[in-house]
Amino acid sequence: MTDPQVALMMLGLFIVFVFLGFPIAFTLMAMGIGFGYFAYYDPSRMWRSFERLDDAATTWDSWSTWFEGFLNNRIFDLFVNQTFTVMSNEVLTAVPLFLFMGYIVERSNIVDRLFTTLNIASKNLPGSMGVAALITCALFATATGIVGAVVTLMGLLALPAMLKARYDPSFAAGIICAGGTLGILIPPSIMLIVYAAATNVSIVRLYAAALLPGLTLVGLYLIYIVGRSILQPSSAPKPTDDEVPDMPRLQLLWLIITSFVPLAFLIFAVLGSILFGLATPTEAASIGALGGILLAFLYRAMTWQRLRESVYLTVRTTAMVCWLFVGSYTFSAVFSYLGGEQVIGEFVSSLDLTPIQFLIIAQLIIFLLGWPLEWSEIIIIFVPIFLPLLEVFGIDPLFFGILVALNLQTSFLTPPMAMSAYYLKGIAPPELRLTQIFKGVMPFLLCVIISMVLMYIFPQVVFYLPDLFYGR
Amino acid sequence: QSPLVVKMQTSWNDANIWQDFARDYATRVEEMSGGRMKIDVLPAGAVVGAFQVLDAVNDGLIDAAHSVPVYWYGKNKAASLFGTGPVFGGSATTMLSWFYAGGGLELYDELTQEIMGLDIVGRLGFPMFAQPFGWFKNEVNTVADMQGLKYRTVGLAADLMAKMGMSVAQLPGGEIVPAMERGVIDAFEFNNPSSDKDFGAQDVAKNYYLSSYHQASESFEFLFSRTFLEDLDPDFQAILKYGVEAASTANTAKAMDRYSADLQWLQNDAGVTIHRTSKEILDAQLQAWDELIPELEADPFMKKTLDSQRAWVERVSYYELMNSPDYGLAYDHYFPGKVKL
Amino acid sequence: MIAFIRFADSLSAWFGKAFAWLIIVMAVGTGYEVFVRYVLNDPTAWALDVSFIMYGALFMMGGAYTLSRGGHVRGDFLYRLLQPRTQATIDFVLYIVFFFPGVTALIFAGWKYAARSWSYGEVSAASPAGVPIYQFKTIIVAAGLLLFVQGIAQLMRCIIAMRTNVWIEAPEDVFETEDLLMREANKAEKDHLS
Ligand code: NA
Ligand code: NA
Repeated sequence: MTDPQVALMMLGLFIVFVFLGFPIAFTLMAMGIGFGYFAYYDPSRMWRSFERLDDAATTWDSWSTWFEGFLNNRIFDLFVNQTFTVMSNEVLTAVPLFLFMGYIVERSNIVDRLFTTLNIASKNLPGSMGVAALITCALFATATGIVGAVVTLMGLLALPAMLKARYDPSFAAGIICAGGTLGILIPPSIMLIVYAAATNVSIVRLYAAALLPGLTLVGLYLIYIVGRSILQPSSAPKPTDDEVPDMPRLQLLWLIITSFVPLAFLIFAVLGSILFGLATPTEAASIGALGGILLAFLYRAMTWQRLRESVYLTVRTTAMVCWLFVGSYTFSAVFSYLGGEQVIGEFVSSLDLTPIQFLIIAQLIIFLLGWPLEWSEIIIIFVPIFLPLLEVFGIDPLFFGILVALNLQTSFLTPPMAMSAYYLKGIAPPELRLTQIFKGVMPFLLCVIISMVLMYIFPQVVFYLPDLFYGR
Repeated sequence: QSPLVVKMQTSWNDANIWQDFARDYATRVEEMSGGRMKIDVLPAGAVVGAFQVLDAVNDGLIDAAHSVPVYWYGKNKAASLFGTGPVFGGSATTMLSWFYAGGGLELYDELTQEIMGLDIVGRLGFPMFAQPFGWFKNEVNTVADMQGLKYRTVGLAADLMAKMGMSVAQLPGGEIVPAMERGVIDAFEFNNPSSDKDFGAQDVAKNYYLSSYHQASESFEFLFSRTFLEDLDPDFQAILKYGVEAASTANTAKAMDRYSADLQWLQNDAGVTIHRTSKEILDAQLQAWDELIPELEADPFMKKTLDSQRAWVERVSYYELMNSPDYGLAYDHYFPGKVKL
Repeated sequence: MIAFIRFADSLSAWFGKAFAWLIIVMAVGTGYEVFVRYVLNDPTAWALDVSFIMYGALFMMGGAYTLSRGGHVRGDFLYRLLQPRTQATIDFVLYIVFFFPGVTALIFAGWKYAARSWSYGEVSAASPAGVPIYQFKTIIVAAGLLLFVQGIAQLMRCIIAMRTNVWIEAPEDVFETEDLLMREANKAEKDHLS
């Protein structure tokens, strides 16, 4: 077997081993070390001192020298070296800070205020509650970036309200699942930081590039919600005054100032300072975290207990993401040392695909990977494999990243690992069946696909802001 | 018989002109060995990160690396004396000659093999042209103009520029342009017209100052795993070592061609104004080096190295300067009015 | 065995949580950098070094804590359908084959790597501030040791689960909002039925 063939076997075996359900970070680490042991297997180096033993050596001596030789494989050094590379990765430093900001914001009682306010404000629109729910989801998801929290909190808050107002249950469920997932696309998204760290694309450019596509997707969602409410009023009846009270203008204004404005300001401050170049993402994230704490204080939601929870959850989620990087850096170093990247590149070039064919196949693979896997694994493990191919087909990794971010919306929404749907099912009234949730999600999936096609036809949507802010 | 494959990783990405320089080395080695040896040139990050290549060669994770000594100056500040140290009057060629004929190689081996205990063999090649003072948004003619400017550089040059009154940030190459856009920095230096152009320097600043003492004598560093090298047959060892000398000439020719063409492009097509750094600023740079040198000489090894360099330059550059005709005069004779020195 | 599991769980949690507080230091420290840069026009030289040192220490030392609480993501769409006994058998084998070689390498090869860094008195080359990083490299060894201890506890968990078909969970201290809400919803439903 040639080295590149071994590399392909490594990739194949990894995919099989994932199904065993062992923590993926350590599965990757093991594959990297196992195949790396082979790649760096060098008997003359490893057993040099064993072979130089003379006859006087005891059995113990020879065994221990042999064992030392066995351990004297350079893969272990490579593993440590890659671990340190992850530890000193400047892009990833923003991850714990954004997570921390998210945990603080989700504990600051902001979501119910926001939903109530938007509900009243949008009362006269068709599908008003759906619109309010989606916008709340989008804002909240943007600030926290943690899908599960948004879906469950909104599921407890907006879902019962919509059901009470006799919304079609699967329509209501779809809105919350799709809206709650937006945080991975709209900056400051943690997914984009991870993509930047995995591909060396500038995170600042990625943020600028994701903004318009994110708004486009929100727009498509809103068009669908309003459109369906107009065409099929029974699925989204206008709430009664009981359900959503009327309110004098001034009082409503005050509600907006106290609920919508502070969160919007926090998001704008974080995102704006990144895009307008006042701060690096890491700096902006720390300002966001401090701002989140301040906001929570002002809402009288900041307790010692909540701060502690946020701190501990931050370390756990950061460790989860970053140990995945430790595993995958080791895996991919060995993969490319064995020549795996080259052989995949040669294979794909030999297929004579056009760039558009390649793009469709790549996105299809990522879509399919999104069924069993979560976004972190897809980005950290599989995107780097596509990366060298992008150059072959002349596709900008920035553009590819935005398509991936759009695409991965679907990974939360499609079974068997449809986390958004499961979170919602977990807290929804038992009458709401999983099939109903999936049925409600379908049209939103369609919106995602439409938005991807739009991006392909009008790539300016992706490139406009980054080119404007940072030049070509 | 399949060829012996040498895994060589660089500190550059695939698009960088320096990756071509590394490939120049690879093709020479392959041809000289009659195809019995092949160099697999890998970009930064393929096996280890750009700044990890010294550790990686030492551990044998890669057999060889193409980098610069200043990248490991966090491990020992003396690394910066092999290319990015004080300028006593010699060019990069003068200092590369010091490395091969003036005792530099022995000092380098002492530093890496004895003091740091590394399992590596290193060689320097391709005397880089002096690195420009850099890119500025506005004109900088006097020392006063520089005060408080936020300036990007790396290594000892950071200490140097700080002593001249600038506020120095050390950013990776890829972050320079966004940082300029955002006003995190007001000015920067990187390396040469081609590399500077490739990452878009001309989009964020229009004043390009050539000539500077901050990094005027750097060369590339070719690192080999000592265990790996010494296990090879003598002819292979010779090819790998002397291949560096061959690539040095090839790189110089390519650099002259590309760097000058790109400088012309920057001037004619990108609207960049090319300046010579003023004498006042160059003087101030020397004074800043004066302040820095005693700090460096507190370390006995650095003192020894600097003494050796000074002695070399005192003798060799005397000859060089006394001997070299005024090339500017001839240039001006044939291309009147093009350069004002 | 249970005593050892409890010991490892609390050891990992103690270190994980202690290092978790670095997030506050990081937020305040980085916030300070922005403040002095814009308000005082005098950026620090060390902010970048300090932020990656905090981040690296935080996630490395949190690895064992995360493991003890089952926080490392698994491709578990088949796995979670299995009986605990079967899960434990798979895990037991894979801890030995997949987990321990790498974690042991972190300790031994990490030691070599860190020792070399100590011998140079290595400083970060990312800024002229000369922030030392040899102590930071030593974190690799410390994290490896914690994971090793926690790994032994995980093996013991597997043995117990293979015998009893019940997993011994680590004492939970904090929940993700969604887990908390789902737990409450389940509990409410059960109360309702009983
Ligand atoms: Na999925
Ligand atoms: Na430079």
